[in-house]
Amino acid sequence: MSAAENAKAVLRRLTAASATERILISFAALIMAVLVGAVIILVSGRITTCQTAATTLFGTGFCYDPVEVYLVLFNGALGEPFLVNSPGILKPLNPNWNPLNFGFALTLKETTLLIFTGLSVAVSFRAGLFNIGTQGQLILGGLATALFSFFVAPLLPSGLVGGLILIPLAIVVGALVGGLYGAIPGALKAYADANEVITTIMLNFIAAQIAFVLVSEFYGNPDSQVVETTPIPDWATLLPVAFPQGGDFSILALAFGLALVVAVWFLLEQTSFGYDLRTSGEQPEAAEYGGVDAKRTTVTSMFLSGALGGMGGAIWVLMVMGKWQAGVPALGFDGITVSILAGNNPFGVVPAALLFGTLKSGSLAVQFGTGVPKQLVGVLRGLIILFVAMPEFFRMLGSTIDLEPDRETVATDGGRLGGDDE
Amino acid sequence: MSTAVHLDEITKRFSGVVANDDVDLTVERGTVHALLGENGAGKTTLMNILYGLYEPTEGTVHVDGEPRDFDSPADAIDAGIGMIHQHFMLVDPMTVAENIVLGNEPRKWFGTTVDRERARQEVIDLSNRYGFDVNPDDAIEDVSVGVQQRVEILKALYRGADILILDEPTAVLTPQEVEELFRVFEELTAQGKTIIFISHKLGEAMHAADDITVLRNGKNVGTVKADETSNEELAELMVGREVLLEPKAEPQEPGDEVLAVQHLSAEDNRGIPAVSDVSFDIREGEVFGIAGVDGNGQSQLVEAITGLRTPTEGSISYKGGDITDASRRSRIADGMAYIPEDRHERGLVMDFDLVQNGILGSQHSPTFAADGRINWSDARDHAERIIDEYDVRPPHADADAESFSGGNQQKFIVGREFEREPDLVVATHPTRGVDIGAMEFIHERLLDLRAEGKAVLLISSKLDEVQGLSDRLGVMHDGELMDIVDPRNTTEEEIGLLMAGERPNAAETDAEPPVGDAK
Repeated sequence: MSAAENAKAVLRRLTAASATERILISFAALIMAVLVGAVIILVSGRITTCQTAATTLFGTGFCYDPVEVYLVLFNGALGEPFLVNSPGILKPLNPNWNPLNFGFALTLKETTLLIFTGLSVAVSFRAGLFNIGTQGQLILGGLATALFSFFVAPLLPSGLVGGLILIPLAIVVGALVGGLYGAIPGALKAYADANEVITTIMLNFIAAQIAFVLVSEFYGNPDSQVVETTPIPDWATLLPVAFPQGGDFSILALAFGLALVVAVWFLLEQTSFGYDLRTSGEQPEAAEYGGVDAKRTTVTSMFLSGALGGMGGAIWVLMVMGKWQAGVPALGFDGITVSILAGNNPFGVVPAALLFGTLKSGSLAVQFGTGVPKQLVGVLRGLIILFVAMPEFFRMLGSTIDLEPDRETVATDGGRLGGDDE
Repeated sequence: MSTAVHLDEITKRFSGVVANDDVDLTVERGTVHALLGENGAGKTTLMNILYGLYEPTEGTVHVDGEPRDFDSPADAIDAGIGMIHQHFMLVDPMTVAENIVLGNEPRKWFGTTVDRERARQEVIDLSNRYGFDVNPDDAIEDVSVGVQQRVEILKALYRGADILILDEPTAVLTPQEVEELFRVFEELTAQGKTIIFISHKLGEAMHAADDITVLRNGKNVGTVKADETSNEELAELMVGREVLLEPKAEPQEPGDEVLAVQHLSAEDNRGIPAVSDVSFDIREGEVFGIAGVDGNGQSQLVEAITGLRTPTEGSISYKGGDITDASRRSRIADGMAYIPEDRHERGLVMDFDLVQNGILGSQHSPTFAADGRINWSDARDHAERIIDEYDVRPPHADADAESFSGGNQQKFIVGREFEREPDLVVATHPTRGVDIGAMEFIHERLLDLRAEGKAVLLISSKLDEVQGLSDRLGVMHDGELMDIVDPRNTTEEEIGLLMAGERPNAAETDAEPPVGDAK
């Protein structure tokens, strides 16, 4: 067998992997990433100079201890359930550990935000549309939410009642604006055959600049030096419930995100619209044959994807910032990786987002808790994401390209493609 | 007579699947040997082994009495074997002569330059020797498919082939071109060449071959002399049971008009006119057939009727209403069933299981999706019913469409479309790729629909199929509907001429009304 055929055989196997196998593959990839990362930590620890070696292997001193780094990473993300600094391989439980801690709140904050953007990307990918524009949809959706809340808040009674009215409305406004901004590349694709990858990327820049101009010139906070809106009153934001130390995380937002996961699954798998959307994504010609209106489905799917991105922006504003501020984090772009990691499955988005959240919050713990520079922590994070995402990425690739071993010889089933039957 | 090829107990397995099972095959020098069998019988696999594309799992290949071990087609070519695949491997803008010598060009100036003049002369000599009618200076893209095939044969001969393998050589030809090809066979065997051709058409094998070997499920089930056998015997060998070969449509009075196509023109995907000014109608309880060589506008015509292509001119009316601009979805809802030409692209979503594929086209119908929510348990029952009634194997509704063989995929599509309770069935190549047993069943079901008073538009490149099933038969050539004939009183030759674009007596044809009833 040639190398190409070998590669095809591997891809075929990967494409055919069952759900259990995929989970096992992801775990194996995680372990591989940790092992490779450990080598990099050791090598960096050899190159750099330090007073005392963090660990000594085979009589050689290293400045960083990979075991410690990874323990701190995962331990930190959970708010230190184990006492990492105690000696021995098995670390004792931390008696003072409370699940509702700051580190874990950071993890969940990131997870929550990425659930929204991950879902946004997953919906478009399932429809066969490569929406790279979740970031732009999130920026504008977030801005709309911030401005809406700021202008409508004075008209409502402050406190719980006002919050109950204003917060859902503000999220709806964010979703609408994000959705409409997503529908633009959808319409361009449907009616002008413009490639959505290009248009969504370009619209990301446009969104960022529009938002910047609007805030810096018209709706900015006059009392602030940075480009940001005037803060929304506290009663109109999603306050940290249950997590006394804060960490900009609201369990309500997470619950809403999880509800959306179920809703998106229901829409995709149980409804006629979802059937149209998935068929368009899998095989546009068959969708056309089955009476799916390709143009309408494209625009609707992009609207939906944009709305989910816009909601992500709304949550970012209401839960994290309490205002809109220039320099929005790249949650939309991370959403692409989350979605790929999840195999574009709405339920898969939750663990994928959790992995991202864990790494993000754990990195902070590593930066503060060990001498490892943050750039190196970034490398370790990137390795894990790369390793875990690659099998899924190749699965996606494998399902889009033709993997038949050799059509001429598949004669046992008569299923050769093409017009060979006459 | 000496033995040219002897395959000795060849077995070939592909990851557990047995494609060829202990096959013996002996081909005498200077004869035409047909390898007959249904799709999936292992014919092509066996020939690919002979051509060195695959190594047999067990068994030996003998050529001219010598055991041979081919690692690649290059070895087979050295041993004097040439293979002409179904899809020609020719360079379109280059001339016939250039294509023939490609890879083995005569050279001049110490091998630095192709000697075009000598190449041309050698090609002329070669085609004269075998009585081929080809012009060495024509570009491949300008010559007919039949000529392209002859160029492929010349290419093999130029490389010194004594044994020619042709994989389904008649699939792309008009009846006249098929006759021409068989004359070429005679000329070649007269000069000592040996020919093996793969076919699943009984008539061809009977007509052109000296010996016929029938493969079934990868096994050799018998080698017979063509002049000592019958269609019935061969069909039974192929299928393993007795088969009703000729579809018979009982005469029946058609009812009201269901579909009327008026002066329809359409373009293909490149914007080139593909259908020009086609008019016909179909009535209840009538099968209207369209014959023609593939690629003469049938696909575009059907797509315009079924709502997948916007016509450039003309109109289509269906059950009395104009549907020229109606959406595909509304046409489905209005009882138009459609067996598409390309089951892998359109007919099935390959990564969906059969439950999901069973509602393709019905995903918005009240039967399966009241209030926009799909009732998956109804969909599953539906898929299982189709699997059961249309004998889709293996009977796994949860398996992806991709995992089924072509014939079973086709049976599932046919079942899905027939079970729509349609008023009009547009059936494009409905039996393509299915075995003779399933073909018989699909033909019967089509005739049942006709008896129930449904209208059927049948498009097929199998002439016997359209001729046997249709009440009226339109023949297409180059986008035009050449004529509408009564298939029962028209010979295959007459239809063949129309398929090739020749109107035998133009005056009479012109006198016919454009929307004619030829009865």
